[in-house]
Amino acid sequence: MKESGKALAHPLLMVLVLAAHAAMLLVILPMGNFAEWVKLACAVLTMDFIGSIVLQLVQRQACTVDTVLLLVLGMSTIYQSCFGGLEFAWKHYLFGLIAFLACQVSYLVVRNPYRAERLKPLWYTLFGILLLSILLLTGSRGIWIDLGFITIQPSEFVKPIFVLICASSMQTQLKKSSVLGIHFVPDNLGLILCTVLIAAVQWWCRDLGSLPTFAAVALVGLYLRFFYLREKFSMRLVVFLGICGIAACIAAWKLAPAYVQERLHSDIWSDMTGSGYQQVKGLVAIAEGGWFGKGAGAGSLHSVAASNTDLIFASICEEWGLFSAVMAVILVLFMPAAGLTVPPRSYYHAGLTVGVAAVFIVQMTLNIFGSCNLIPFTGVTVPFLSQGGSSMLSCGILAGFLKAAQAPQFTIPVKKGGKPNGGAA
Amino acid sequence: MAEQRKRPAQAKSSAKASTPPKTSRKPKAESAPPLWITAPRSMQRAYHVISLLIALFAIALVYLAYTLITESRYYVAKAGKTTYGYVYDRKGDVLFDGTQPLDSYPAGQFADIGSLIGDTSGQMTNTLVSTHLDDLANYSFLYGNNGNPAEIRTTLSHAANRKVFDALGQKRGSVIAYNWKTGELLVCVSKPCVDIAEGYANLAQMPSGSLLCKPFYPIVPGSTQKVSTVLAAYEAIGVGTVNATEYACSGSWLNAKGQKINCHEKSGHGRQTLAEAFENSCNPYFAQLVQSDALPLSRIVETFTRMGYSVNGEAAAAYDLDGIRIAPASLTLKDADDFDTQWSCLGQGDTLISPYQLMLWQGAIANGSGKAVLPYLVSETVDSQGNVTEANGVQYTQQMFTAEAAQAVQKVMYDNAEAHYYVSLSDFTCGVKSGTAQVTDNGKAYENSLLVGFCLDAQTPIAFCIVIEERVSGELSTAQLAKVLLNTLAEM
Repeated sequence: MKESGKALAHPLLMVLVLAAHAAMLLVILPMGNFAEWVKLACAVLTMDFIGSIVLQLVQRQACTVDTVLLLVLGMSTIYQSCFGGLEFAWKHYLFGLIAFLACQVSYLVVRNPYRAERLKPLWYTLFGILLLSILLLTGSRGIWIDLGFITIQPSEFVKPIFVLICASSMQTQLKKSSVLGIHFVPDNLGLILCTVLIAAVQWWCRDLGSLPTFAAVALVGLYLRFFYLREKFSMRLVVFLGICGIAACIAAWKLAPAYVQERLHSDIWSDMTGSGYQQVKGLVAIAEGGWFGKGAGAGSLHSVAASNTDLIFASICEEWGLFSAVMAVILVLFMPAAGLTVPPRSYYHAGLTVGVAAVFIVQMTLNIFGSCNLIPFTGVTVPFLSQGGSSMLSCGILAGFLKAAQAPQFTIPVKKGGKPNGGAA
Repeated sequence: MAEQRKRPAQAKSSAKASTPPKTSRKPKAESAPPLWITAPRSMQRAYHVISLLIALFAIALVYLAYTLITESRYYVAKAGKTTYGYVYDRKGDVLFDGTQPLDSYPAGQFADIGSLIGDTSGQMTNTLVSTHLDDLANYSFLYGNNGNPAEIRTTLSHAANRKVFDALGQKRGSVIAYNWKTGELLVCVSKPCVDIAEGYANLAQMPSGSLLCKPFYPIVPGSTQKVSTVLAAYEAIGVGTVNATEYACSGSWLNAKGQKINCHEKSGHGRQTLAEAFENSCNPYFAQLVQSDALPLSRIVETFTRMGYSVNGEAAAAYDLDGIRIAPASLTLKDADDFDTQWSCLGQGDTLISPYQLMLWQGAIANGSGKAVLPYLVSETVDSQGNVTEANGVQYTQQMFTAEAAQAVQKVMYDNAEAHYYVSLSDFTCGVKSGTAQVTDNGKAYENSLLVGFCLDAQTPIAFCIVIEERVSGELSTAQLAKVLLNTLAEM
């Protein structure tokens, strides 16, 4: 494969990743518990080496997303291993490895936009199965499926599928149908239907924290679809969609369940031991951490529930400092930002990139700004930094989409009859 | 082609004739235009959306970091995760010390200012310390809790406060005074008062009101309310007309509804002008003034509302003294012919005013402008890095009453002081109005003695309000206390 002219050389990037991880490992060496440190160091550096080899074998062209992913996964493993004392976070590490592999697999699946688009019925089917699993297998309006040895959050896996549904090729957009004189693109109708369904299911299972993420993905997906072929924006459509959006927001605000209303209107400082407990602890931890943190393992936030998931930003701030936490967030942001330096080359991949960017940025916004009391607190995760198997795997798949947009393959699949089944992607 | 650079009209034909691209991007030339221009339209939109999302997130992240850095002192202070610094009076005398246990100070050291300055125990929530925990925190985002002690420098005179507090003796009451030119709060005494150096071990045995700084809480004003009524009359009718208006007092007076208004002088005062009635504090005169057609009730309501009263339950803004909340005055004015309304204008019934607000109006009368310099308590705060983070200065209230009315009332009060307080306040150029408030508390009826006033001397531009609770004849008078107050402040 030809190297991308704008990407840094892959070996150089890997050296930087290794250097960053080695530096972090050296910083935490004085924490004591040398046996755990050795485990952690071996695990992180091994992941770097294995990752490097895998990338050499699978695809070197789009190394930006992969190397950033390796860097973030190693950092997050070190973070997670240090909270409250050094102990190798093997679960997080394991899910990180799986996420990395999932990234490569999803890349291989969607790197060819023609083939990925042809698989759309499969995405719709998976979407339906996941929604049904939420309705039928999560118990009483819950979000978790308990398999005994592990719990799975199916709504996390809906995210990459939903991004795949949102992405569309030009050829698909040119296929129009007509019912009762009304012309429409069937795929657009499918997306709108899926959006309504996922919103309804999320509302039903009271997982309202993920709704903004799905809404953002649907919004950017529809934006790219509705306007992509037009010379000018249709103001009527913009006004109509705007009114619909505002009406939906007002309805959601008014009809939100009591616990959501409480979060929307609560003052955490007047209820520091009740509903504001987690956020107060988080904010105090950030303040105590200052610019450079109390030191790895020296924090106290680990004793608070969800400190390594919902409060991950505060936890990193407390032990490593605000500077480090912001840098970690910016690193995660580098992944969707790669689409700015090496823009997607197909309409389909553009849709994927925008969808993934929406998922990553909205989730980070909800988590970080929610835990810091600037917006209502929700239980969503920061991609790759928060602990959580379903979330990690889902984000790994999404990272694969970004990689596919960086290094696409445009071979048109040939049907058995020998006629190419492709067109504008 | 995967790369769409053609216009929509050409898109269909392009789609039909698509072939796999060998390479989809132009090699970058030195003069190559930006991506958002060279990329096809659909790609441009993706580019713009990603840019917008990242830009918005980056801006929000910067805002978050700024908020966290600037608010972090509040977080640690509110959660009690820091140590605290000092509160000083205007001469550097310690009023609160957060660096060591307060019981290391002599007993009674803070007895005169305990309920005003407060402490970090959480027992009192409307005090200087409790509302400035973040300013007192020895914390900074850069150095954590390892900074120097923070400081709050106040305008109070601890020495003057102590003298007035001691002068009250065993009596309960409150005294508040400020410089009506600069706004500096100089004295704020509340008795009984908790001694924060002794703590709260004997909280149950403390006298009622020990944890409240009384000058900030509304009380029945008695005849000091007549100052407000005169101001409203001057505004509505005019100074000359009101001064020339005479009403008769025969010891009592029946209003339009046949309800009796009694005068404290049972034999009556006869026919009087306003100045005479003011000096006599004659209830029938003022009741007749309120009932007169020349003074519409709506004009009284208008003036009182501007002065900050909550009239007939309407909302009025609370005052804020550097974070300390002061409830607004309130009264009911429904019918000018009715006893209750007339009684309210005489300072009884459901009329309630805080000594702070009574003092504030005196400030506006003393400067003759009708708008007062707002009192302030904190002159500056110094954070743990030595940075001065706040500095108060002269700020005015809105126009509460006309300058003409203010100057006219100033003269009436001055004449009153000259006529009745010559002995007590002979050393000062003062204006005063006394009042006696009939109070019932838990079934026990008693009278509070009040005195509001101002001093016009250049060395002591002071406005004040003095309250002595359950005062009986022969005991310490408000005028004597005013003399102590002004003498002390003159020596300051």
